[in-house]
Amino acid sequence: MRIDEVAIVGVGLTPQQKRSDRNSLQVALDAAKLALADAGLRHTDLDGIAARWPGPGGTVLAPGSADWSTLLGVPLDWIGDSYPQGVPALLDAAGAIMTGQATTVLITGGQAGVLGGGSVAAYTQPGNEFVAPFGAFTSAHFALVAQRHLARYPHARQGMAEIAATIRNVGAANPEAVMAGRGPYTAEDVLAATPIVDPFTLLDLCLASEGGAAVVVTTLQRARDLPHPPVVVLGAGMEWLRQQYVDPARYEQAWTIGSRAAAKAFTQAGLGPSDVDVAQLYDVNSLEVARQFEALGFCGPGEGTDFALATGIGLDGKLPTCTDGGLLACSHIGWGGPTLKLVEAVRQLRGTCGDRQVAGAEVAIASGAGSGAQYYNLALLGRAR
Amino acid sequence: MTAPAPGLTDAFWAAASRRELVRPVCRACGRNFFTPQVACPTCLSEDWTYEHSAGRGRVYSATVVHKPPSPGFAVPFRLGIVDLDEGWSILTEFVDGPDGRLPAIDTPVQVAWIERDGRTLPAFTEVLP
Repeated sequence: MRIDEVAIVGVGLTPQQKRSDRNSLQVALDAAKLALADAGLRHTDLDGIAARWPGPGGTVLAPGSADWSTLLGVPLDWIGDSYPQGVPALLDAAGAIMTGQATTVLITGGQAGVLGGGSVAAYTQPGNEFVAPFGAFTSAHFALVAQRHLARYPHARQGMAEIAATIRNVGAANPEAVMAGRGPYTAEDVLAATPIVDPFTLLDLCLASEGGAAVVVTTLQRARDLPHPPVVVLGAGMEWLRQQYVDPARYEQAWTIGSRAAAKAFTQAGLGPSDVDVAQLYDVNSLEVARQFEALGFCGPGEGTDFALATGIGLDGKLPTCTDGGLLACSHIGWGGPTLKLVEAVRQLRGTCGDRQVAGAEVAIASGAGSGAQYYNLALLGRAR
Repeated sequence: MTAPAPGLTDAFWAAASRRELVRPVCRACGRNFFTPQVACPTCLSEDWTYEHSAGRGRVYSATVVHKPPSPGFAVPFRLGIVDLDEGWSILTEFVDGPDGRLPAIDTPVQVAWIERDGRTLPAFTEVLP
């Protein structure tokens, strides 16, 4: 069985909100139900799950994946305690399906009822003894990479602001986005927004919001009998440098993270960057979008922001990017955030995105994490032929 | 604040409380590394020891944090990475220095010490000519 015989057949997105009155387990279940309904399947059709138990509560022994079978009321043949969700969970599911361990796998997650106010989100602050006393948090780790890049390519600051404004304006038009109706923003608005950690202002940085997201994965053979045109995995790749957010990233190493994963994915798919129609890149901040254009081979070193501006990454551009508004404007739900990238990629490839549909979208990228996180993953998805 | 892992880092914090900077040095291959790990990440030997550091190095990267990561952090503060002359690196805070400015990449710095939440932490300050 080849990887392009693994198909995503259902996607589910709960309401994405600044703060939810539900909890993480409830939104994961909500998203799962939506994804199953979208797939035309019942929970009793599942025989596998790739998801980390989100709490509250858990099993006597961690991890809690086994408890999904209790929650869903179905015995499972395969479980994966996948972290994070998104592409790593998709590859776990693909592995289970390709090795005959499962035929229909649920990926679900998100966060709700966990965000407080006032400070940065608790999950962005590792408790490590060499990190916490210095007040570092996830965006600060990305900032330390960005500062070295901007020392070398100072003009990229303006391009970052243009990227943030473009993606936020795309998100403003998405009724499902947390920031629906907000804006429009200009690059000048981004530069003048509240500074958070240099070089990033509030508008350069992703949201921390609440909600759930899920997808259902199965064989292409089974997918052909289900309601939606199947979306298959054309290729994928992952990279890990080291434990995230402890030893800070080295710019020379982290700036190009994703280049090997992308080379692997494009080779596997028999495609190149010019074949990509929509790019659901992991936009934790404005510079990461430009960085990925470089690392993934869309342009040369130091050309990421110039590429974005010259190519056009809005819905009317040549490479529509983060077409739901991304993590910057649609939502970012913790370790469920990467699943949002799969959901939007699948919707674009099905052609069901309404006003924000990219005409003729046949190949999409969905990616996760980035330089400051020191791990990266991406998948190339396409309509089954 | 999370308690240090028992054993592996106790000596680092004990030295810090005396305002002495130390770093892991591998007895097998001689490399410095940080943060402390069970084994040397270059040769995988568990035979390493803490040695005194001169506490001098250069700024690898630096930023200003404007939003408090948690209540109780005074902002703005200067966060960064220092490459020590002995060949290791540390995440740290920049203190003092001319006009409280953010030191540029490659600026020579030396260890200073700050007290926070009952612990003595290695910070760094610009070496003035």
